[in-house]
Amino acid sequence: MEAYIVAMLVFAGFYALMALGLNVIWGLAGMVNLGLVGFFAVGAYASALLTTKLLWPMPLGWAAGAAIAAVAGGIMALIVARLRGDYLAIVTLGFAEVIRLVASNEIWLTNGTDGISGIPGPWRGDVSPQQFNLIFLALVWCAVGIAFLLLSRASHSPFGRVLRAVREDEDVAAVAGKPVLWFKLRAFALGAAVVGFAGALYAHYNAYIAPDGFAPLLTIYIVLALTAGGVGAMRGAVVGALFVVLLLESTRFLAQEIPGVTPVQKAALRESIIALSLILLLRFRPQGLIPERTRTHSRPGATP
Amino acid sequence: MIQDWRDIAQILLNGLMTGSMLMLPAIGFTTIFAVLRYPNFAVAAYATVGAFAGWVANTQWGLPAGLALVAAFLVAGAVGLLAEEAALKPLRPSGPLTVAIASVALTLLIENILRFFFGNELRGYDLPILRDWRFDGIRIGPQQVQNTLYACAAAGALFAVLAFTRLGRAMRAVADNPQLADIKGVDPDRIARVAVFIGAGLAGFGGMLLGLDTSIDPLTGFRVILSVFAAAVVGGLGSIPGAALGALVVGIGEEMAGVLLEPAYRTVTAFLAILLVLSIRPQGLLGRAA
Amino acid sequence: MTKFRIGRRAALRRAAGALYATSAAGAVSSFAIGGKAFSQGAPIVFGALPPLTGAGGPYGPAMLRAIQAVVEEANAAGGIRGRQIRVVAEDDQTNPDAGVRGARKLIDVDRVSAMMGTWASSVTTAVAPLCWENRVPLFTVSGADSITLLPHQGFIFRTQPNSKLQIETGADFLLRQGARRIFHLAAQSPFAQSSQDVLVAKFRAAGGEVVGYTVYEREKTAFRSEVDAIMRARADTVFLNGYLPDVTILLRELFRAGFDGRRFAPAYAINQNLLNSLPHEVTNGAMTWQPSPDVDSGAFKRLERLFGNTAVDPYSAQTNDHAALAILAAAAAGDAGGVAIRDNVRRISQGDGEKVDNVTDGLRALAAGRAINYEGSSGPVEFDERGDIRGTKFRYERAAGGRFELVELR
Repeated sequence: MEAYIVAMLVFAGFYALMALGLNVIWGLAGMVNLGLVGFFAVGAYASALLTTKLLWPMPLGWAAGAAIAAVAGGIMALIVARLRGDYLAIVTLGFAEVIRLVASNEIWLTNGTDGISGIPGPWRGDVSPQQFNLIFLALVWCAVGIAFLLLSRASHSPFGRVLRAVREDEDVAAVAGKPVLWFKLRAFALGAAVVGFAGALYAHYNAYIAPDGFAPLLTIYIVLALTAGGVGAMRGAVVGALFVVLLLESTRFLAQEIPGVTPVQKAALRESIIALSLILLLRFRPQGLIPERTRTHSRPGATP
Repeated sequence: MIQDWRDIAQILLNGLMTGSMLMLPAIGFTTIFAVLRYPNFAVAAYATVGAFAGWVANTQWGLPAGLALVAAFLVAGAVGLLAEEAALKPLRPSGPLTVAIASVALTLLIENILRFFFGNELRGYDLPILRDWRFDGIRIGPQQVQNTLYACAAAGALFAVLAFTRLGRAMRAVADNPQLADIKGVDPDRIARVAVFIGAGLAGFGGMLLGLDTSIDPLTGFRVILSVFAAAVVGGLGSIPGAALGALVVGIGEEMAGVLLEPAYRTVTAFLAILLVLSIRPQGLLGRAA
Repeated sequence: MTKFRIGRRAALRRAAGALYATSAAGAVSSFAIGGKAFSQGAPIVFGALPPLTGAGGPYGPAMLRAIQAVVEEANAAGGIRGRQIRVVAEDDQTNPDAGVRGARKLIDVDRVSAMMGTWASSVTTAVAPLCWENRVPLFTVSGADSITLLPHQGFIFRTQPNSKLQIETGADFLLRQGARRIFHLAAQSPFAQSSQDVLVAKFRAAGGEVVGYTVYEREKTAFRSEVDAIMRARADTVFLNGYLPDVTILLRELFRAGFDGRRFAPAYAINQNLLNSLPHEVTNGAMTWQPSPDVDSGAFKRLERLFGNTAVDPYSAQTNDHAALAILAAAAAGDAGGVAIRDNVRRISQGDGEKVDNVTDGLRALAAGRAINYEGSSGPVEFDERGDIRGTKFRYERAAGGRFELVELR
């Protein structure tokens, strides 16, 4: 049981990193990004390829994963900066699907649907599986801690304030002399870097990545995490990620107890509960478990 | 690959058929968007609901395809309306993105409700499959022509409603300017309900057409949804003729990709079509500037 | 209001009671499975990780049913030396990320002594390291050749023939049937390219030709241009190397286009379920092949009876054997640990022992101290040193009037 809990906390760490990254793009800058899993994949593949094919040391691979995801995020921002939110949602969704297809089909680079196995992990093989788990637990939550501190600071810095201004009203921010596109680009790149870094760590934890693993479902989980925690609040992203992993895993045990249904029906119920809880959260706690304290705009229903 | 004009004609024709399958869900999606101003990702689920409703009507109750399509429309419309009122409408004050995200969750929910009751098995309609007609080396499927006609008829009916009825005029008024429509005595709530019913219904109608051409399972709508979004975006979100045009562009683009590039990259083509169109006309082919 | 409160309190009490009951049951079972040594009465736990949702959804449920059927039979026969067997299933969602989380739970919480029924190659490859690190054997139906090449220390058993064996036998069959110009239409998968390499070599050697090779996107719903390419290439045979949803569409489209050559597909891509969902004239003549036991195999007939009205598909035939192999290996070892199962699978599945085709007979023979050789519903199930299936026969069938009829078995 302990091993399982440790492993799930490691997963929660990955999700927390992704939620933090999404929070910069969506929470601060107000740009929806449903292509999250695409940046996650870019980071994972970059680090996996550099460390297995070019034998780069792992930390360098992780940094490269973050950097390449940041570049992808920057390019994405340039393309989509002019688009409205609803278009943005669809374009980013498509982006993630394109990444998955490229990873499936460019076999010379990515090994196709076979995926990349044997990705090294820190001290893997030298220590027991459980020790490896604990090492990774420390590693990923250190990463979460550092990302949290840096992003919280950024969020309260002038940079963060401008991003919020852009989120609330782009035109006003532009009139105030802020280069809106430049700020959006930086936010997108920064968020993508954090997500890419999460992907890089993930690849080295699992030792294996394949296109199948980067399905849109993961994006839904992260959006759920951020919504649950509270969009805009960095603490919310972390709390939300823990909540999502708890939800995903506890439904397993819950589903086991349901009598008189087939396994498929159990699986269907389990996914239904996850979907339903997102809808209910949005309905009854739209500000999330940890609301953003610096939120400036008027609440719905309040007189403008 | 391409040797003479027939090959090009065949690709265009294939694209037309593929596009006509995307047309109704795309129109449904854009209809809801036009009135309510948020992208409702749940059209994927409504398409699957329609496919299953039509399947039940056709194979369990023995209705012919034409009547089963009506059932698909009505059931998907009703499910869409119910889901809207119960799950999405209360979220509207939180902004369009919140509703959009909830609609993603709604898709997952409906997919799994269908899975709960129908399982994962593939199901086919109780219909004969006919051989293609051949004209000078070009092949056309009679059923695909029929499906295209069904799709066009449904789209045409929607155009007629919008153009000639009081309800249609009211819908267009709300789409143009909700506040102004409100002042003029049009009840935007009622219009919203009608739009959702029609939008979800058309998605269901399209989902059953898709099922007639393939086989259905709980992922039926999900498989085409990216192409459907691409069609709506290319045509301009909120523009109904745009969605129809966008569906043809995406359909032909995907078939071209199958021949000129690699069949494994069809979806990439749809995505490239989005980017190309949006970089030239951010509001889509027939959309109005925001 | 008061009444409501009482009602609520009663409900709370009931909930607390239920909670207590479940936690007590949980405590018992975790106590029971905590002790790994052989003790009477403590159930042995097997983990099943089939796809119940996602792209593998059409296959996973039947695969799980086959596992459960064998386990029920073994339990009815007295279990493994008096110990009952319990199957815990988790849905891998056809996704390696979900698969790994599910495998974690099965290994760390349920302490399974064997894992079985993974379908997608990506899921199998993702959970394989967890299995060998925790010394749990993994029985799989995944087809990617790379799986048994992993450094798995003998913990992987794959009942699906690798693509080389599978495609070579398939190609030989087609050549025997007179095929010379074959078109290979493959869903993007880990074995698309390796299948193509084998096909080219085989057809070239026999004076034939692979006249076209197209890899398509599996999740699409229209493949008209792909079928046009087949018609243009004037192929006499088309090999549909895909899965149920896409092959369904391709068969329709080939029929409409008037393709009159051979249509050949793996038996998991054209199964009875597909025959039921399409008009007969569309499927008539389509041919499939799969690894197979002898015609008179008792194992296959038993599974057919257990499945009742639904036909047995190749994956279920294999997971049936997964469970049987694990049960018999544990019984032969007298130890339900993962290492013991790994070390005894070959002892009970190959060699000169008494041939048995079901767990009841197998358990009885083992209890009497006799050596056995299990012949399963998916074939003789003999494994080479890598964990790949070897020496299996293949069954070739043709669809006629909505049913399969045997063409040959060799």
